[in-house]
This record gives sequence, structure tokens and C-alpha cells, in this order.
Amino acid sequence: MFTLGSVLDNELKSSVEDFSFETEFSTNQLMLPNIEKPFEFAQSIISLEKDLDENDNQPMFHQQKKEERKERALIKGSKGTTTLAFIYEKGTVVAVDSRATSGQYIASQSVQKVVPVNQYMLGTLAGGAADCQFFLGHLGRICNLYELRNNEKISVAAASKLLNNILYSYRNYGLSVGSMICGYDTRGPQLYYIDSDGSRLKNSLFSVGSGSPFAYGVLDAGYRWDLSKEDAIDLGRRAICAATFKDSYSGGTVKVYHIDENGWVKISDDDASELWYRYEEKEKKNK
Amino acid sequence: MDSLVGFVGKNYVLMAGDTNAGRSIMRLKDDFDKLVQIDSHKILAKSGEIGDGNQFCNLIIRNVSLYRIRNETELTTKSVAHYTRRQLATAIRKNPYSVNLLLGGYDKKDQKGSLYYLDYLGSSKKINYGAHGYAALFVGSILDRFWKEDLDFEDGLELMKKCLREVEKRLIIGTRCFLIKMINSDGISVVEKVMINSEKKNEIEEEN
Repeated sequence: MFTLGSVLDNELKSSVEDFSFETEFSTNQLMLPNIEKPFEFAQSIISLEKDLDENDNQPMFHQQKKEERKERALIKGSKGTTTLAFIYEKGTVVAVDSRATSGQYIASQSVQKVVPVNQYMLGTLAGGAADCQFFLGHLGRICNLYELRNNEKISVAAASKLLNNILYSYRNYGLSVGSMICGYDTRGPQLYYIDSDGSRLKNSLFSVGSGSPFAYGVLDAGYRWDLSKEDAIDLGRRAICAATFKDSYSGGTVKVYHIDENGWVKISDDDASELWYRYEEKEKKNK
Repeated sequence: MDSLVGFVGKNYVLMAGDTNAGRSIMRLKDDFDKLVQIDSHKILAKSGEIGDGNQFCNLIIRNVSLYRIRNETELTTKSVAHYTRRQLATAIRKNPYSVNLLLGGYDKKDQKGSLYYLDYLGSSKKINYGAHGYAALFVGSILDRFWKEDLDFEDGLELMKKCLREVEKRLIIGTRCFLIKMINSDGISVVEKVMINSEKKNEIEEEN
């Protein structure tokens, strides 16, 4: 069985000896237990929230299986977060919250939900933190290798497709990844949504996580292609703020990033609760 | 849930799909093209999971291109249908693709259009008209009643709009926007990206 360490060694070795595209990017080895049916084992210890919250109109044996899985559930995946990103005339805006919950408790208020892939591309984190962090970090490595080998910057479309192919090959293994690849390349600002189910969608705005319906409300109401940079950043910030206000699984701090042809920049980092009341005061003053 | 509708007319094939892509209750994208072009005269309309649909359609497109490059000849619609079905069938008990497909194509040799209905379980059937998804429930009877052999393009488009209007009217999940494509001897063309609003029609009737 391959260990995580040897996956990377293999990759480097293969890159020196063999220039074929397939070996470069087919890093499909994950450490799996050395038992007869690893896929079934993985499924049995992972329970996603949607499985636990199914209605009770299932036949008895289904019910029992669900109970067994609840007891053995060691890893619970849920997308308790709010992340959003949108593209507009002058670039891409990415805004995230920073709360991590385990059950009913807040595990952390300062999680880094934006992972830089390279200087002009960011990936957002929703779902399983470990899965997202690993695969986005791995994507960063692959993109770096691509740049070194081909002497050109990788496009956002290609980077997102690489991640999509990797995640598709693991689609039944219980991974939980709801990531957005946001960047700026020769085609302008780009945004892709990548899922652990294997879906890859291109659009001008996305929001992912439990607070996404709330964020979509503010985002859809205020979005235009020809926003000014200030307005776009404010829109992103307000949308996350609204989501943290309504959704209990989102909160902490609101981080906003902006990507343009010069790369990505962190714009602001505000406490979510303070931000809400700051906006309220602003509205009162305006009236 | 995805809606796909297709039928064969006089020297053309008309296909329509809704333009929603979503996750659970949310619509993530409202201009998603489900009618994928395989080659100059064939369309594969996909429904089901987005990831499976993308990967499977890519597989078919690349292999059809490879055949064309190796053998300097294009495959007929029948051959592509059989190849696609075989791919679905071999995958079903190992790593199933949960995609339902409608394959429409025009063969220059026969000067005729043909439509195939393919299932995620690996079934395949040549049909004159058909649909996938919830649309199939509403649209099946309309096509049974009104489809005729060798429909003109105008009549065919009217029939298609009749079907889509019914889907918009009765399906509780909002699918207003549909993309209609046509395949004929000239190739594939987008007929219309139509936004159906059946409520408006009723208002006008009441006023009159």
C-alpha cells in the first residue's frame, strides 16, 4: 500500500523519467486500509449529515443500518460554512466566514477557508476541512509543476479540470469537498465550482455551504457585471455578513479577497458580529 | 430534476433540455447546456448527476473523434448508440454512471434523422419521440397524441413548445428556461433558448 509520503516521491520520480501527461497528473493513490473491501469500510465509518437526517419512512432494515452507522460514525461530514465568490468586470471577489463546528459546539472561530493555489488563483474550503485542505494543497503542487514544465501559467479552467478529475475518481469514497476555484488568467476573471460528487460548473457567481441560501439572497440582489471595485468588495462582505447573521454554522470573521491581473490580495478581515452592527449604524446615519 | 425531450421530424431531429444545474434545493446555474455535441451531426442529451454526465459524455466524444481520426470515416448514429450503450452496460455493475441519455443524429447516407433512448442501466432503443426525467410523465401522452411521421419544421417546433409548456405548467419544480436544438443535413443549430411562462397565457384568455 502506498503511504502519503511515497505518493509525492513517486510523482517527482515519474516526472524526471517520463514526460507523458498521464503519469504527471494521475496521482490516484490514497492510503486505504489493507482489507478486503476498502470502499465499503470507508462508507461504513463516514456518515454525511444528509444520511442522518433522512425521513423515517424507510423499511425496517434500512432503519437498522442507519442506526448502526450512527453509532459507528467516527467522521461526520457537513458543509457548515458560508463561502462565496463572484466575477465582475475588474476581477474576482472571494469572501468567506471562519467558523468550524463539531455538532452543536463551535470548534474554532478562526479557520482559514481560503487556500491559495498560486499567485493568481484561490480555492475555497467547504465540507470536510481535511479533504479540502489536502486536495487544494495538492492542486497547488500540480499547478506549480505545470508552470515549471510548460513555462506558462496554468489556466483556471485547466486547474479546475485537474481537481475535478481527481475528485471524480474518488467519488464514492465519502469525501466531502465543495470548493470554488477562483482566479484571473488570460481569459479574464474565472470562477469554477468543484464538488466531491464530481461536478464542475462555470458561472459568474457561486455560494457554497449551509449559509449559502442567505448569501445568495444578498448577492443576487446586488450583483451586476459593471460594479466598481469598492462596491464589489462591499457586496461580498455584506453577503457573508448576512449569512453569518442568519446561519448558526457560520460566523467568526469575514475575510474578503480580490483577484485581478496582478494576483490575489487580502482586502479585509472583520469580526462578523461587529460588522453587522457597524452596517446597521451606517444605515441609521444615512437615514 | 432534469427534463429532456426529443423527437424525429422530416429530415431533422428536434431536441430540448432544461437549462438548470443544481444541488439539492438550490439552482447553481441557469444557463447549463445539457445537449452536448458529439460530432457535426449528433447530439447527446444528458440528464442525471452533473459529474457523471460530464465525464461520460467526454468519454464518448473523445472515442468517436478517435474513431474518425483512425478510420477517416464518421460513425452512424446507430453505431454511436450501440457503443454508448455498451459503455453504460459494462460500467453498471462496477462503477455505474448515473446518466440517462437521448442520442439524436442525422445520417447523410440515409438522409434521415434518428433518435435513441439510453438508460443508466444499459438499455437502448430506437424511438421516434421520447423524454427523460419528470418531463417524460407529462410529455409522453402529448407526443403520443400529436406526433406524426414527417412533421414539418414549423409544426415540429410548435409541438415541442406545446410539450415544454406542459412541463412548465405541471412540474412543481420550476423549470422555465429550455434550450431547443435541431439536427438536420446542415448540422447542429440552436433553434431557441425559450423562456416559457404559461401563467401569462391564462391571463390573456381571462381578459378576452
